[in-house]
Amino acid sequence: MSVSVQFYLTLLLVYVGVNLIACWGLNLQMGVAGILNFGFVLFQAAGAYAYALFTLGPVSGGAGLNAGYQVYLWGTQLPFPIPFLAAIAAGGLLAALVGVVVLPRLRGDYQAVALLVVSLIGGGIVLNNISLLNGASGLSGIPKPLAGVTGLSGIGYSWFYVALTALICLMVWYVVHQIGVSPFGRTLRAIRESEAAARSLGKDVKRKRLTAFIVGGALGGLSGAVLVGFINAWAPASWGYQETFVFVTVIIIGGFGSNLGVAVGVILVPIIFGELPTFLPQLGQASWLGAIQLILYGALTLGFLWFRPRGIVPEKRISYSRSDLVGRGRQVEANEMLAVVLAGEEGVPRHDGDVSGQ
Amino acid sequence: MSLIALYVGFGVVSAAILALAAVGFSMQYEVTNVLNLAYGQVMTVAALAAYAVNRLGGALWLMLVVGGLVGAVLSAILNRLIFSPFAKRGLKLFGMIVITIAVGLIVGNISLILFGFGSFSYGVASLTTYRFAGMVFTGSQLATVALALAAMAVIRIVLVKTKIGRAMRATATDPVLARASGIRTGLVSDVAWLISGTLCGLAGVAAATSVAAWSVTTGDSLLITILAAAVVGGIGQPYGAMLGALLIGIVTSVIGGYVNPSYTEISAFLILTGFLLFRPAGIVPGVVLEREVIA
Repeated sequence: MSVSVQFYLTLLLVYVGVNLIACWGLNLQMGVAGILNFGFVLFQAAGAYAYALFTLGPVSGGAGLNAGYQVYLWGTQLPFPIPFLAAIAAGGLLAALVGVVVLPRLRGDYQAVALLVVSLIGGGIVLNNISLLNGASGLSGIPKPLAGVTGLSGIGYSWFYVALTALICLMVWYVVHQIGVSPFGRTLRAIRESEAAARSLGKDVKRKRLTAFIVGGALGGLSGAVLVGFINAWAPASWGYQETFVFVTVIIIGGFGSNLGVAVGVILVPIIFGELPTFLPQLGQASWLGAIQLILYGALTLGFLWFRPRGIVPEKRISYSRSDLVGRGRQVEANEMLAVVLAGEEGVPRHDGDVSGQ
Repeated sequence: MSLIALYVGFGVVSAAILALAAVGFSMQYEVTNVLNLAYGQVMTVAALAAYAVNRLGGALWLMLVVGGLVGAVLSAILNRLIFSPFAKRGLKLFGMIVITIAVGLIVGNISLILFGFGSFSYGVASLTTYRFAGMVFTGSQLATVALALAAMAVIRIVLVKTKIGRAMRATATDPVLARASGIRTGLVSDVAWLISGTLCGLAGVAAATSVAAWSVTTGDSLLITILAAAVVGGIGQPYGAMLGALLIGIVTSVIGGYVNPSYTEISAFLILTGFLLFRPAGIVPGVVLEREVIA
């Protein structure tokens, strides 16, 4: 393989990793906990900026590499895992802040509007206050993690970064999978299905949803750090509110609430449908390409919601029969009892947890 | 002459445009339960149709008529072909929002392919100005304000005085009960889409008339301000949307003029955030329905 093809491949693989982390995070909020977050990209942006500020070093006045060509609020330079942890913290803290304000106070439809608006306000603030994060031109020259330690450069380093991304993805997978099968995950699904039923069983609905929102936001932050660690630049144009819609498309096509489905969606949606039109014979003008991609995204979303509303790999139904619980002589916990209530007992059709509610 | 009066004057004009748009948007959400994020793109299509009339030498009133018709027909078609079938399948708010975003992407990008990234101008701005209490208006701006006032009056009469208006309010409050009482809710929703689509089209043409140049993405960029006006007014409350539009239009113009033009949009968002936090039901709370969101 020529170096340019290899570079393209590594870029593609890192993008897959970044989208995996982000979509798993959003799926936790939206698919599992049922919070309509149309402003998710804000958390990715927060993580990316946090990573940048923790690697770029102090803002230099006149001398040095950074010679004042970009301005930002504050900066420092810390070794490898710390900038990534800072990104996780930034995403999580921002989610906590937004979540505490938005989640308990507003109903679902207002929440969706509020979260969309919060991400737009974030974009507006960064764009209009250049001294904060260099405004529209954004930050560039963001250092690569471990470049000095590994001694690698060029394509060798790119492959190393792919491996690093894969490792992070594995850890994230472990986290979201564990949450999914834990009592916490079951409670979230129960809340999504029926808030009233969950509350009646003594579940602290607000706190559980807030926790899911924060964990999702932290993952969004991490995805931003992994992205800028590789592409080394970040500007408001990279995180328009439309980006969130690409994540949402991925989740709908892959399978709402299903981590495996989301992984399938991440590979299918941006890679195949995003890259495919570039290989098609030139249709009209080159500037049509972006438009055609977005039309495809839209059409795909409509098609899937109509023909396969639960996605390619639907969320697994957790169902317990009464004998499952009692037969094993286990104490029936409230969570499991709730699952029985919501799943219906054997043979009784239940209201499935898909977005269409068929 | 004080500057503030001048900015308030600008605010009144943008409030008039916003009111047309926000009332239509609110009506769609209230009667048909669709939070239509493709609204901005429909506005753009109407403005483009009016542009064709404009190039052929049609007058402003003809542009408005064509824009309103195109908005009405396109909205009704979108409802019949896409929104209503999905709603019948049991898609709730979340799914419907995603559907409208997808439709918006499709409509917006088809317009982009057909009409390009360039900017358009009607060239209808009249040079004659009129002055009232320190405010300055051009002829087309006055026409816009008059149009908005007339449209609001018509909407008010339709909703309160006519049978179809009562049917619409009944459907909005409880579709099942409305159907059980013999109201043809399908017909009601068609009419609601036609009326709100007309407002959407008129708003598209009015918005395009008010600026020197606009492009295919202008409608979408207005959507957030429309959303702000609708939410501030109490989402799903057409009368509230009028007040919301007035508040947002005037405050953003004054802040944009006095402080910094780039804060025009942000000030709209901040008003919206303030309302969401402290008065989420809006200026006119009315009957706030708990809607099913997921599933």
